[in-house]
Amino acid sequence: MTEVIRLTGVGRSFPGDPPVHVLAGVELTVRRGDYVGIVGPSGSGKSTLLNVLGLLDRPDTGSYLLEGAETTALGDRQRTALRGARIGFVFQSFHLMDYRTVEENVMLGGLYTGLTRTQRRDRAAEALDRVAMSHRRTFLPTRLSGGERQRVAIARALIGAPALLLCDEPTGNLDSVTTGAVLDLFDELRANGTTLLVITHDDTVAGRADRRIRLRDGRPVPVAAGAPR
Amino acid sequence: MSRTGVRLRDLLGEALGGIGSRPARTALTVLGTVLGIGTLVTTLGVSATAGNQIAGRFDAATATEVTVTVAVPGAVGRAALGNLRRLNGVTAASGYSRSRKGDELPVRSTLLRDPSRAALRKVPVIGTDTAFPAAARAAVATGRFFDQGHLDRRDRVAVLGTEAARQLGVTRVGNQPAVFVDDQAFTVIGILGTSGRTDQALVNNAVVLPWTTAERTVRAGPVDTVLVTTALGAAPLIAAQAPVALSPNDPLALQVSAPPDPDSLRAGVAQDVSGMLLVLGLVSLVVGALGIANVTLVTVLERTAEIGLRRALGARRRHIAAQFLAESMIVGLLGGIVGASTGILAVVVISVVRDWTPVIDGTLAAGAPLTGALVGLVAGLYPASRAAALQPAEALRGPA
Repeated sequence: MTEVIRLTGVGRSFPGDPPVHVLAGVELTVRRGDYVGIVGPSGSGKSTLLNVLGLLDRPDTGSYLLEGAETTALGDRQRTALRGARIGFVFQSFHLMDYRTVEENVMLGGLYTGLTRTQRRDRAAEALDRVAMSHRRTFLPTRLSGGERQRVAIARALIGAPALLLCDEPTGNLDSVTTGAVLDLFDELRANGTTLLVITHDDTVAGRADRRIRLRDGRPVPVAAGAPR
Repeated sequence: MSRTGVRLRDLLGEALGGIGSRPARTALTVLGTVLGIGTLVTTLGVSATAGNQIAGRFDAATATEVTVTVAVPGAVGRAALGNLRRLNGVTAASGYSRSRKGDELPVRSTLLRDPSRAALRKVPVIGTDTAFPAAARAAVATGRFFDQGHLDRRDRVAVLGTEAARQLGVTRVGNQPAVFVDDQAFTVIGILGTSGRTDQALVNNAVVLPWTTAERTVRAGPVDTVLVTTALGAAPLIAAQAPVALSPNDPLALQVSAPPDPDSLRAGVAQDVSGMLLVLGLVSLVVGALGIANVTLVTVLERTAEIGLRRALGARRRHIAAQFLAESMIVGLLGGIVGASTGILAVVVISVVRDWTPVIDGTLAAGAPLTGALVGLVAGLYPASRAAALQPAEALRGPA
């Protein structure tokens, strides 16, 4: 199975007195079709790891191969292009634009990757279908429930057929019922071959993943594999 | 990896979506540019209209009048007037000689001892040709003007200026009244109306004689003044050609007075009217630009999370900058369009109220919206650079 992510000796520190070493010597490999949960308390470096994995931040040390290509040496422009094309983001606060319809929000996903408007509309319809939100196509996000909003956000992440779906506390703003629905959706996506990496502080969310990694003081500690369903 | 170009249409769509999301704020922002552009268009339009109006009145009255003064006596022969009349654009030309200033001839009417009337008056005497009434813009009010026959026969006839006739007590010509110029009798055959030429008030006070007669009886000299009326717009040309036509040997002996060029007059008036208001309009425009800059900056700060999201979705810095530039430019363009429209409307309303003909420059009407767009673009430069400089990871944690 091909590797989507390979982190080798990744470290990231922030200036201060003394400097804060948020990540240190992180080793992580994610293969195509993996469903990985990363857990850790606040301050354990989850956000920084997410930023590094999402090419939003650059590690100080180590190497990050995304689909076999070294990313740490790439320029800003190439990293941006890679990020737009190969990584789908799902955020805790959804980041939907309130004044745009569900369809327009999803279509935003392909805007910067060179897709035509027609292609984006077709793919948006497809993605909304995958997350079972086609019936809300013309709604504004403000009229949707939290779970529905997150499903729209997931559809937006899926539109470019990313190599990796990077989820940052995807259920942080949801109640337990809608959390369950979103996690069921993740299972479906996983079953259809999507590579998922979920970062959360919630053990039950991480527990749905195939593989769990606990972050402690900026270092990943493997946890016994989550019970397969 | 697919290419990362964003189509212009999509970019504009995103920009329109951005400014459309807060219609009230957009309207208020547009208002600043509307005021600036509106003031500019109104100012320029009204001053052009007013300038045209003033110049138009001027045209009708004096822009067709040329006066040639002969500085060297004898430089213009009577025959040379024919050369002048042949020039295209000349509608009438007449030369006259008048009695020397300060040495006017005594003129009286019939020998009637009337104590209420001064016996003798010093009145200017003009010796001229048959084209005089047309060239002097003085219609014959009573009786007739002398003709070529009178000239050829050197008849002792006289035509009185309107003021001269009043002073001499001559009101009608049917009874063939006589006037005595230097104690020589002349039959009055006509009375002129008021001269339409403002520079020829002399005509109203004068006794006008056929030049042939005047030469013999009152020792009138050669032509000293040539009056010309021209077709509209021909005055400057005729003014340039007249000296050569009248005195080919010595054109410099003639002094020509022609009306100022209507175009320069119009521009001068427009300048007078618009100076202050123009400054006001420019100030409004600058204030409008600052408004756009301020609101766009606030928008950038408010939409930090959106910028972060767009960066996460693969937007390059230039895409972010282009979007905010497009937004501020569209706001400026809207302001320009609305401002130009209201400005033109104001010019038309003012013109209707004043009974003027509105004059609006096409370049102004087309340029105003573009100016608005340019103002918006410039105003958006700083906010757009701020937006582009945001770090995506931090922006994502910002306000939604």
